[in-house]
Amino acid sequence: MRFLRKVARMSSAISQTLPLELLATGEQGTVIEVDGDPNLVIRLEEIGLHSGVVVRMIQPGSPCILEINHQRYSFRFDESTQVFVDLTP
Amino acid sequence: MVEKVPSQHLARTVAVIGNPNTGKSTLFSALTGVHSRIGNYPGVTVEKKLGWFEFEGQSVRLVDLPGTYSLSPRSIDEMVSVDVLLGRQPDVGPIDAVVCITDASNLERNLYVVSQVLDLGLPTVLVLNMWDVAVDRGIQIDPVELARRLEIAVIPCEAHRRRQLDEVRRGIIQACQLPQRTPPDLFPQTFHEEARQLQTAFQQFGNQNLPIYLIERLLLDVGGQLETALTKPNPAELLTRLKAARERLATAGCRVPGIEAKLRYGWIKQLMQGVMTVPDKRPATVTDTLDRWLTHKFWGLLAFCLTMFLVFQSISTVAEPLMKFFEVGQKQVGGWVGSLLAPGPLRSLIVDGVIAGVGGILVFLPQICLLFLFIALLEDCGYMARAAFLMDKLMTKVGLSGKSFVPLMSSFACAIPGIMATRTIENRRDRMVTILIAPLMSCSARAPVYWLMVAAFFPTVSWAGGWVTLHAIMMFVMTFFGAVVAIPIAWLLKKTLFKSETPPFVMELPAYKWPSPGIVLHRVFDRASAFVLRAGTLILATSILIWSASYFPSDHRAEQQVLVQIQQAEDQFSSQLEQKSQLRSRRELLLEDQPVPVQSAAESSAPIEALAAQLAELDAQLAELDTQLQPLHELFETRNQISERLLADSYLGRFGKWIEPVVKPLGWDWRIGVGVLASFPAREVIVATLGTIYSLGGDVDENSQGLQSALKSATWPDGRPVYSIPVAMSIMVFFALCAQCASTLMVIRRETNHWGWALFTFVYMTLLAYIGAWIAFNATGWLMTFSGNS
Ligand SMILES: Nc1nc2c(ncn2[C@@H]2O[C@H](COP(=O)(O)OP(=O)(O)OP(=O)(O)O)[C@@H](O)[C@H]2O)c(=O)[nH]1
Ligand SMILES: [Mg+2]
Repeated sequence: MRFLRKVARMSSAISQTLPLELLATGEQGTVIEVDGDPNLVIRLEEIGLHSGVVVRMIQPGSPCILEINHQRYSFRFDESTQVFVDLTP
Repeated sequence: MVEKVPSQHLARTVAVIGNPNTGKSTLFSALTGVHSRIGNYPGVTVEKKLGWFEFEGQSVRLVDLPGTYSLSPRSIDEMVSVDVLLGRQPDVGPIDAVVCITDASNLERNLYVVSQVLDLGLPTVLVLNMWDVAVDRGIQIDPVELARRLEIAVIPCEAHRRRQLDEVRRGIIQACQLPQRTPPDLFPQTFHEEARQLQTAFQQFGNQNLPIYLIERLLLDVGGQLETALTKPNPAELLTRLKAARERLATAGCRVPGIEAKLRYGWIKQLMQGVMTVPDKRPATVTDTLDRWLTHKFWGLLAFCLTMFLVFQSISTVAEPLMKFFEVGQKQVGGWVGSLLAPGPLRSLIVDGVIAGVGGILVFLPQICLLFLFIALLEDCGYMARAAFLMDKLMTKVGLSGKSFVPLMSSFACAIPGIMATRTIENRRDRMVTILIAPLMSCSARAPVYWLMVAAFFPTVSWAGGWVTLHAIMMFVMTFFGAVVAIPIAWLLKKTLFKSETPPFVMELPAYKWPSPGIVLHRVFDRASAFVLRAGTLILATSILIWSASYFPSDHRAEQQVLVQIQQAEDQFSSQLEQKSQLRSRRELLLEDQPVPVQSAAESSAPIEALAAQLAELDAQLAELDTQLQPLHELFETRNQISERLLADSYLGRFGKWIEPVVKPLGWDWRIGVGVLASFPAREVIVATLGTIYSLGGDVDENSQGLQSALKSATWPDGRPVYSIPVAMSIMVFFALCAQCASTLMVIRRETNHWGWALFTFVYMTLLAYIGAWIAFNATGWLMTFSGNS
């Protein structure tokens, strides 16, 4: 997992765009895109995980705990769902 | 809580809608005085609830609804909300106005559903609840400017402290007078054109006059419930039209469903510009620290198990003495009533049927109150959602998600609200599996059976200085036994009848808070009164039935004569009896003060010798008294023989003998068998039934006190005791696994829309219970002889 993270980080060194699950504890980023089954995607967007919001990783893993606007959520996605975030230092 | 119900046509109907866990039910209860269940996790309310209030001469009918993130419903609880809002529920009727409740500390997301509600064009009031939380976080919102931009009333509010309630009331009344609003237009022109075309198509083929917002929702909700509901008249044609419309929209750059979130969040962003300021700095909160431990992979699970064990340990420590006290009370009431009435059917009905039956179950009231106190505390502090998070890992192993955990956890109180709570599960197959295993969770009606068996047949051993007792461990084990059995059952169901992928898991974790005493006490009171009510109705009725079946058709005259003689003898020997009970209690005190010696005999031989001497002295005195009381003992002996024969001759006794072969492999005699059969409508009935049977068919003497001692002295015809640890285990396992609750089966039928599933649950659980009890009886018996021999 850590190795994967490194590779992903290096390859995206310029844009700093990462899949959400690679965020480490306490790191935060801006959601760029939510991709996957349209019905699940709209569900995620309704509950608050939509492009433009800042997410903070509280506990990585599956399920993970995220924080959006002080509100915590736990998420476990299926394989087809991908959330991309832009790291904000 | 007497509500005036004004005449229907004068009252305006107002729906309370908003995201889950924003305080809708709290506000509803505060406004109407009608209690709606409140808890600090999403999905507490799953069914609509009606209440009334009157303000400034206008009466309003308020509808509390399940929380929803959007008006495109995906689960049954959300469907309820949307149906009511759209006026599609006949028992509520059309809605005059809407109160949107939002969490002010997370306003942007909360406004999503508000923007959908505004599209309906109904007069709307926006309540910014949890204002205190927003202020604590340093969030500043300008309600006046927001109201100006939205052209609706915006009211900050703290529902749990009942602040600003009059403003909310006034806002609702004023909104009711307003005409329909023109909704803000977010969607491009092409979208509206498609909607209008589709409307014409519906008029052509479906021959219905559907409002345009329904058509728009239909266009937006791909695969939603509306698709099946609205296209019923001509599914083939209408669905192709719908699909074609969506495709045209996609090519025009307006791809549903994705477009909706984009447009609405864009609108919200614009709306909130300059209305709300959020501090950049994120303050560290208690929730941070607590979550670090409570959601930890290892510590979190440990904390979960420890909490559960603590609950049972404290119930057992606090409630067992209370229960003894209640039992003494029960015996005294029985004796007192008995002395007032002459021996005969009436006295027997009241003493043996009502007091021994219903009283036997009422002695468990302290335990029930404590159990619900703990449940309410856990529900209102915010821990439930964390427990669901922790359990998601385990639940995925059987193909379910953490979402199923909340209903299952509720089922530990009672399976009925638990099954209702499965409405929050989106996936139908997962919901079915959860419904079918929910009755295996140990509900509070099983607890009296465990308490009775554990208290009567398991030794009072404790460890760690009295902090851990065998009784509490047994209660803990029995309570979670059903849940453990549910694991393979769920796995099997998920592999066969309800084959589907493990669903994704999305859940909001509310911030921790101190449980509100009002909410907690209300819940305890609610359940305690339900328990007493059940004892006074259902259990009373069954007790009377059981009593009649075990009293008739035999001739009780001989028995009554003996009873009269016993009464006379008791009056005659009253001083001896008094003395005897004093000696006995002194003896018990002596034994209790002296803990079981664990040190080597040499160290502590002196105190033990002193104790032995005192005991011998007391025993000698007791023996002396007993010889004096010999005539009384003989009378009791005769009474027991007569009663035993009468009971065996009664309808119940004949029936019991007939079924005895079926229950004998489980180690039960016919009385247990009858008790278990009688408790199929409701499981607590076993306690009442055994109470009546033993009170009538009496192995009683002058010291017998309550059901526990009756059970301990019950014997087979050949004199062996009926009850032993294996028998107690077999009874407990049977009750843990059996579907002995008519109301649960009824709810399963209603929630699955089919009798078949209720029948299925009944059959599989009863089979499981029988086999489980057989294994428990034989395995415990084998273990005990094994450990006895070694
Ligand atoms: N701090 C704060 N807490 C509140 C306020 N109003 C309600 N609560 C708490 O919020 C929690 C949720 O309240 P509910 O009334 O059950 O919420 P709901 O919207 O009905 O939830 P669902 O039925 O699950 O949709 C409870 O613990 C309340 O005590 C408020 O104004 N401020
Ligand atoms: Mg509610």
